[in-house]
Amino acid sequence: MTTAPSSGFNLAQWWKRSRKTILPPLFGIGGFLLFWQLSASLGLTKLSGPLSLWTEERTRDLLLYPFFDRGGLDKGLFWHTLSSLSRVALGYTLAAVVGIGVGIAVGLNQALNRAFDPLFQFLRMVAPLAWVPIALVMFQQNQPAAIFVIFITSIWPILINTAEGVRQIPQDYRNVALVLQMSKKRFFTKILIPSALPYIFTGLRISIGLAWLAIIAAEIVMPGTPGIGFFIWDANQNGYVSDIVLGVIWIGAIGLILDRLMAWLQTRIATGR
Amino acid sequence: MTTLVAVQDVAKDFPLQGGGNYLALKGIDLEIRKGEFISLIGHSGCGKSTLLNMIAGLDLPTGGTVLLDGETVKRPGPDKMVVFQNYSLLPWLTVRENIALAVDEVMPDLSAAERNAVVEEHIAMVGLAHAADKPPLQLSGGMRQRVAIARALAIKPKLLLLDEPFGALDALTRGNLQEKLMQICNEHELTAVMVTHDVDEAVLLSDRIVMLTNGPGSKIGGILEVDIPRPRQRLEVVHHPSYYSLRSEIIYFLNRQKRVKQWQAKPHKVLARHGLEKVNLDLGFIPLAACAPLAVAEAKGFFAKHGLDEVHLVRETSWRGITDGLLDRTLDAGLMPSGMPTWMTAGGHGGDPTPIVTALTLSRNGNGITLASRLAEQGVSSVADYRDYLLRTNRESHTLGIVHPASMHNLLLRYWLASNAIDPDRDVHLQTIPPAQMLADLKDGSIDGYCIGEPWNYRAEREGHGFPIVGDIEIWDGHPGKVLGVREDWALAYPNTHIALTKALLEACRYCADPAHWDELSALLSDRRYLGMKQELIRFGVPDGDRDNPHGTAHTLFFGPGVNRPSRSEHLWILTQLARWSEIPFPRNYVEILERVCSVGVYSTAARELGLDDVSYQRGGIELFDGVPFNADDPISYLNTLSIHQDFSVAEIPVGVPRILAT
Repeated sequence: MTTAPSSGFNLAQWWKRSRKTILPPLFGIGGFLLFWQLSASLGLTKLSGPLSLWTEERTRDLLLYPFFDRGGLDKGLFWHTLSSLSRVALGYTLAAVVGIGVGIAVGLNQALNRAFDPLFQFLRMVAPLAWVPIALVMFQQNQPAAIFVIFITSIWPILINTAEGVRQIPQDYRNVALVLQMSKKRFFTKILIPSALPYIFTGLRISIGLAWLAIIAAEIVMPGTPGIGFFIWDANQNGYVSDIVLGVIWIGAIGLILDRLMAWLQTRIATGR
Repeated sequence: MTTLVAVQDVAKDFPLQGGGNYLALKGIDLEIRKGEFISLIGHSGCGKSTLLNMIAGLDLPTGGTVLLDGETVKRPGPDKMVVFQNYSLLPWLTVRENIALAVDEVMPDLSAAERNAVVEEHIAMVGLAHAADKPPLQLSGGMRQRVAIARALAIKPKLLLLDEPFGALDALTRGNLQEKLMQICNEHELTAVMVTHDVDEAVLLSDRIVMLTNGPGSKIGGILEVDIPRPRQRLEVVHHPSYYSLRSEIIYFLNRQKRVKQWQAKPHKVLARHGLEKVNLDLGFIPLAACAPLAVAEAKGFFAKHGLDEVHLVRETSWRGITDGLLDRTLDAGLMPSGMPTWMTAGGHGGDPTPIVTALTLSRNGNGITLASRLAEQGVSSVADYRDYLLRTNRESHTLGIVHPASMHNLLLRYWLASNAIDPDRDVHLQTIPPAQMLADLKDGSIDGYCIGEPWNYRAEREGHGFPIVGDIEIWDGHPGKVLGVREDWALAYPNTHIALTKALLEACRYCADPAHWDELSALLSDRRYLGMKQELIRFGVPDGDRDNPHGTAHTLFFGPGVNRPSRSEHLWILTQLARWSEIPFPRNYVEILERVCSVGVYSTAARELGLDDVSYQRGGIELFDGVPFNADDPISYLNTLSIHQDFSVAEIPVGVPRILAT
């Protein structure tokens, strides 16, 4: 038997080790795409198959050239995404600031908690879309209304988790503060925030997903501004089914990246419990 | 020394969820001196942590006050720093930052450099310089607790409070940390209060040990002074003569608390049957050969024969258990040393005088004095040799063991020493030690010898640790050994039960007295319920007529002419001896006390109903081996003729009028 070259040997080793983690998702995704393409080709559904992203010339252009800008609303997907993301950034930041602030207040104060918790639990259940008409009435303009929808959708997990994190500060840590006679301010910065941080980050991570969901919904019903939601709405109006598919894939990918980003931040900042 | 902490009549109750209050602590009074190390010990839920938290100011008492340096404790503060059981370190900070957090908070007036120096000094003090930059989660439990202690000490508290600081650590780490803490406390003269459930830890570290009773309404059940000199070494304190007696004192206390709790958990109805007022009895005994009549009455059905259907024998580990059981009424009756009825009636146990009645003497003789084999190696074979030995080695302390101050062992040993010109309080030191402990103490040389009943003399001889120097029949042949004792109010409430109990035990005594039954008795007593030791170690004596070896053999009398009838003159002799050694003052009203202690009537009734015509028999006068006659008509003159004695007093003992137990 001849000895295999070392690089080839390593590859075989690597494949042996990782095939269990690589093969199943490949089969899963491949199988799903195949099923989708077959059902589209056989006419089982009017939805165009995944191959249409490439076969439709208009869609292929959109896929290959995300950075074009022909003025007005005729832009590449990157620009649509950027304006959506900037709205999310605004609404989400606002939600984070208000959510963490109110969460701490509610977590520290039993009476406040009793007063507002039912309200929070109730508002939390309202779907993002239901907020759109209310937001439009409140602000009379698309841009602030969209930001408000993001804000009101994504605030609840942050608020509720923060409040829980503050309530869950171990009595031991509180006793340390008590025995050392810490000032309120020092307690806040030295004990409360570090102790509640993991909870706060859990809330932030759940919320970023919700915020991204909300922006699409808001843009679809509030057309006329650039954004990925508008892009889908526009394609829908024009009957470009493959464009819609592309938009949806784009949305999923961005959402996934946002979530990973928050997860990474979480492990970086909120370690040690 | 000045008082640092004063806990004054503190009570604490917690509101319960379903309404009402749970009274956790009640009437706690405690003064803690500067530089003292105090342990709080008790069963879980006894409120020891609550008490600590109230001293810390983390919790406020609902009654009474806690003073620190004369000021009421109203809130927690760095002057009374707490070391918590689960360390309470902040996991997001490193070791250094955790300590610095406290130092920065408490010492804002120091410069940053000075604060740093304090932090580094204390990291070094607990030997954690190598781990200063690690977060606590990377450290072992022992290291974390060291950080917590360093943090507490860094802010220089007046008072250090430790809540089961080593509870979660393995034994080895715990031992090291205990020594470290002790060393730090000694060097810095810290005042500390520690909650613990570890008896050895409490004895090792403390100056005083505060024992708390079970809740609800926990109280201080006792405070022990630990007289072991400092600095202490963990491995050496166990050789100090006080170590095991302190340890057994605490364990006794904790077991007693547990037993009372179990007793309270059971329903306690008085069952009246067969014309007897109460047939369910709890009878206390301690595992000695002299408990034979109780074991026999149970095994041979004498209790049931006389209508006592539900008699439970309760094994106690020390005579104190019998005393406490009668005091708190968890026992109906008990086997007791013959001095105990008068001793308790005169208040010798330290509480109110509690009249005790005895209607039956269960055994006579059976005791002896054993000295350690190492004394025999030094040529000690008689009491004169021992006296010379004491003179020769008078710089050393000489301890002799007794089981109880009111036992005949104490009185006979003292009498024997005193008559041989050895002052039992000056020339030697007499210490109360549980019987099972005596043999171990004899073995490791911490005591010279002891006076005790069988099987402990025979065992020491057989195992080669000791030799019999004198037997009790050479001191006072036929002295009363163990008696049956009940509370006077109990005897008045259940007169027919008392007679039935006396009858059952008298019959058992007769059974025990027959040498033909001794093998059977040894087998019976070797059972785990009674003595739990090898059968051949339990001996009652040799058949009549063979008294060749008077100090080697037990000569226990269980039954016979004049053996069982309670004798006033004997109890008077006991009263004079108890007074002679200042266990009690000599009662001016001794005639009344003897009248109430010796229930001759119950004995006579029981004997007559059994057909034993013992009533007319009287024992002769009391004269011990030294030939000094005992004058029962003038006990005070008798006391004054004795050359060696303590400064005894004569006083009226307030025993009150006889009262019936309210049922």
